[in-house]
Order: sequence, then structure tokens, then C-alpha cells
Amino acid sequence: MTTLARNASIALAIARKDALAELRGKHATTSTLFFAAVVLLLFGFALGPDTRKLTEAAPGLLWLAIVFAGLLAVGRLHIVETDDGALEQLALYPIDRRAIYAGKAISGLAAMLVLGAVLLPVVAILYGIDLAGAWPALVATLLLGCTGFAAVGTFYAGVTVRMRAREVMLPLLMLPVIAPLLLAAVKATTAALAGDPFSELPAWLQLLAGYDIVMLIAGAGTYGFLLEE
Amino acid sequence: MTNLAFIIAGYGVILGGLAIYAITLVRRLRNARADSLRIRRDAEAVADVGGDRRA
Amino acid sequence: MKTRVVGIIGLLAVIAAVVFGLFVVPPDVNQGDAQRIMYVHVASAWLAYLSFGVTALAGMLYLWKRDLRFDAVALSAAEVGVMFTAFAIWGGMMWAKPVWGTFWQWEDPRLTTTALLLALYVGYLLLRHLTDDPARRATRAAIVGLVAAIDIPIVHFSVVWWRGLHQTATFADPTKILHPSAPLPFVIALVGMLSALTVVWAYLMIRRYQLARIEWQIEEHGRLGRITAAQRAAVASSAIPAIPAAPAATAIDGRVEGAGL
Repeated sequence: MTTLARNASIALAIARKDALAELRGKHATTSTLFFAAVVLLLFGFALGPDTRKLTEAAPGLLWLAIVFAGLLAVGRLHIVETDDGALEQLALYPIDRRAIYAGKAISGLAAMLVLGAVLLPVVAILYGIDLAGAWPALVATLLLGCTGFAAVGTFYAGVTVRMRAREVMLPLLMLPVIAPLLLAAVKATTAALAGDPFSELPAWLQLLAGYDIVMLIAGAGTYGFLLEE
Repeated sequence: MTNLAFIIAGYGVILGGLAIYAITLVRRLRNARADSLRIRRDAEAVADVGGDRRA
Repeated sequence: MKTRVVGIIGLLAVIAAVVFGLFVVPPDVNQGDAQRIMYVHVASAWLAYLSFGVTALAGMLYLWKRDLRFDAVALSAAEVGVMFTAFAIWGGMMWAKPVWGTFWQWEDPRLTTTALLLALYVGYLLLRHLTDDPARRATRAAIVGLVAAIDIPIVHFSVVWWRGLHQTATFADPTKILHPSAPLPFVIALVGMLSALTVVWAYLMIRRYQLARIEWQIEEHGRLGRITAAQRAAVASSAIPAIPAAPAATAIDGRVEGAGL
């Protein structure tokens, strides 16, 4: 129990450090958010001006924007760290590698949640959606979806960060893996917005939760190998 | 035989692809083995020269 | 030379299986002759899954034993597997157009899963291609291959749910390929093609493994050559004696023998 508490405090310390670094270099967060907003705007040009079509596609477009911006966010969390050699320093400490992974995943999750919290109202405004009444289900979907994305993203960002062509390799490796997450999150969001007429929401949330657990275990189990290099 | 075009396309691409891959592999392997042999001979030649000098 | 025997057996078996599947077996009552494509399609899909299983297993063994021979097996299986995945998709499309009327059927969980499989392992091969250091390449590839293998069942499961939560996946059920009224020739054709292509798979695996081993030795030799050349140049161009370079050189020489050149 003490080791668990110790690992948790290490993970939180790493996450807090990442959050502080993000907040001090504010331009990075702002530009990612702006990028996602522009993506949503361009989806409007691609599918509009018929608002009905946009409303119908809104859950998918929301999650695609979260995925694209999230790729930038989790990628940068590692790039900042390795470019000044901080990850190597961190790997030298005699601490559990799973704690380092958890720390990076928590800061990734925080970034994703900020992203989701900003994009959801933007989608509602741009694509004409009524969010009232769907809040609890939407928050649950966002929380589970972002957790899975951060779990997978932290792992793949760690894999690609010291590679040639890392900007291409991160999405290339990661997008096929998060396909089930995207699918389940979009379905859950659609169900939530429609008031869950076929009561399929719990099933999709369960799928998301299962995915999160599997990927967190896989990431925590393998991330240590990356720090050995 | 009905749908002949699809059957030819299906079998042709798969069997043809397998054949091309197999031939490419064998050829690359032959070249690599030749390279490896040459490197080993060069290394042996260098070792021999060294031995002669010592003698 | 034993490998060549495997190759010849595979070639003869494939010729026999193709002749049997195309000319001996009667056409399917519902699907007509297009059904003959199923023999190569199903066999390719089976070999794709077999390959990726081998990749994941070899990766795990590498992480455990740290022996690059396991990494060579993982690479071979991934490359051969990507090829068979592409064949499975191609064969599926050639079958689907005459039978379903479309090349691509989003509602078929097998097809969508296989497409993602292709993307996953093309990424795996690119990752290998972009990493030069052998040990680092092997480690990264092993863990990425492992996560990909974990992802495959989730992908399949989610795509099955996707087409309708309360329906079961029977769209391209392999048991439906075999027509109940004339089962035996169909079974023989399918099992025959499966076995024949599995022998070919084994042959390709061995050849690819041999190639990987020998190419890595040559690569290693080139790396050492560059290092020693650089050391010689450094010693020749400066008055600094060769003492700092010497320990590094012996350490590397030790690895040459380890590589078995």
C-alpha cells in the first residue's frame, strides 16, 4: 500500500510539473485549442451549409477534432521533455516506471479534458446542437474517451519521440489503435445527444471503460522498456 | 465459368504477388550471401597479411 | 538446401490446390464461380492472423531473452503478414463485388477489422524502418507489436457491436462458405488451399529470416567499418594518441564475434 501511495505521489508530481510547464508556455495550449476550433470550422465548410447534415455528423466531427488536436497535445508533452533531455534524467531516478507512465498519462488526460471542455460548446454553437439534458452522459463519455486516448497517446508518443519523422509516425501508429475508441465515443455521444432512445449508451460506455483499462495496463507494462534505451 | 474477371484478378494478384515476393527474397538473399562471403574473405586477407608481417 | 525442399513442396501443393479449387470443385449454388475466390481469401486471412500472432510472440520472447534472432522472426512474420493481409482484402473485394454488389461493405466486421490490421502492421514495419539501432529497433517493435496484438480483438469486438448491438456477426461466416448439400469437395478445396499456402508461408518465413540475419551482419560490419575508419582518421589527423579510442575498439570487437560474422 505504501509503494502504491508513493507511486501515486510520484505520478501526480510529474503531472503537476507538466501542467505547470504547459501553463507557463501558454501559447502551446492556446494554439492547439485554436487548431481544433479551425478544424471544426473547416468541417462546416466541407459538409455545410446544410445545418441538418452538420447536426447529424456532429458527434463524429467533435471526436475527430479531439483526436487531431489530441495527437498534437500528447506528442508535445513528450517532445518538450526529450528535447532538453529531461526524460533521460527522469529515467535515472530509482522510481517505478509505471509511475512515470501514469504521470505522463495524467497530464495527457488533463490536456485532453481541457480540449474536450472547450470543443463541446464550440460544436454545439457551430453545428446547432442542444446540449441541455445530455450533460451527465456527455461528461462520462468525454472522461472515458479522453482517458483511453491519453493512455494510448502517452505510449505511442514515448515510442516515436526519439524517432526520425516522429510527426508522421505518431498519428500513423496511433490512429489505427484508437479506432475502437473513436467508434465507441462517437456512438456514445450520438446516443447521449438523442436521449438514448435504444438504451445502448451503457454498452458503449462499458466498451470505452474496458478499452481504457486494457490500454492503461498495456501502456504501464511496456512503457518502462522505452526508458531503458 | 461466371465472374471470370474477378476470379482471374483474385487468383492472379495473390499468386502473382506471392511469386514476386518469393523471387525477390531469394535474389536478395543470394546477393546478401555473396556480400557476406566477400567481406569475410577481405577480413581473412587482412589477417593473413598481418600474419606474414609478423613472420 | 532443406529450405528449398519446403519451397518446392509449397509450389507443387499450391498448383494442385489451385487446379482443384478452380476446375475440379463444382460452382456454389448461391454464389456461383465467384465462391472459388473464397479459397485463397480465407487462406490469406488465416495466414495474416497467424503471422501477427507470431510477431507478438516473437516480440515477447525478445523482451524476455534479448536475443535478436527473435526480432528477426518478428520482422519476418510482420512483413509476410502484411502481404497476406493485403491479399485477404484484395481477395475479399474480388469476391464481394460479384456476390454483394460492392467492393467494400462497411457492415462486415471482418473487412473493417482486416483493413485496420493492415494499417497497424504497415505502421509497425515503418517504425522498424525508421529506427537504426538494432537493440532499440527490436525493443520498440516488440512493444508496438504487442499493443497492436492486444488491440486486434478489441477492434473486432467494437466493429461487431457497431453494426448493431443485438445482431451477431454472420455476414462472412466461414462455415457459410461451405454449401451444406455438397460439403466434401468444398471442404477439401478450402483445407487444401489452406495447407498449401501455409507451406508457402513457412518457406517465405524461413527465407525472410535468413535474409534478415545476414543483412544485419552486413549492416553491423558497415557500422564497425565506419567507426574504425573514423578512429583511424582521428588518430592520423591529430597528434593525440590513440589511447582514448582503444577501449571502445576492443568493446566493439567483442561484439563482432558475438554477431558471428
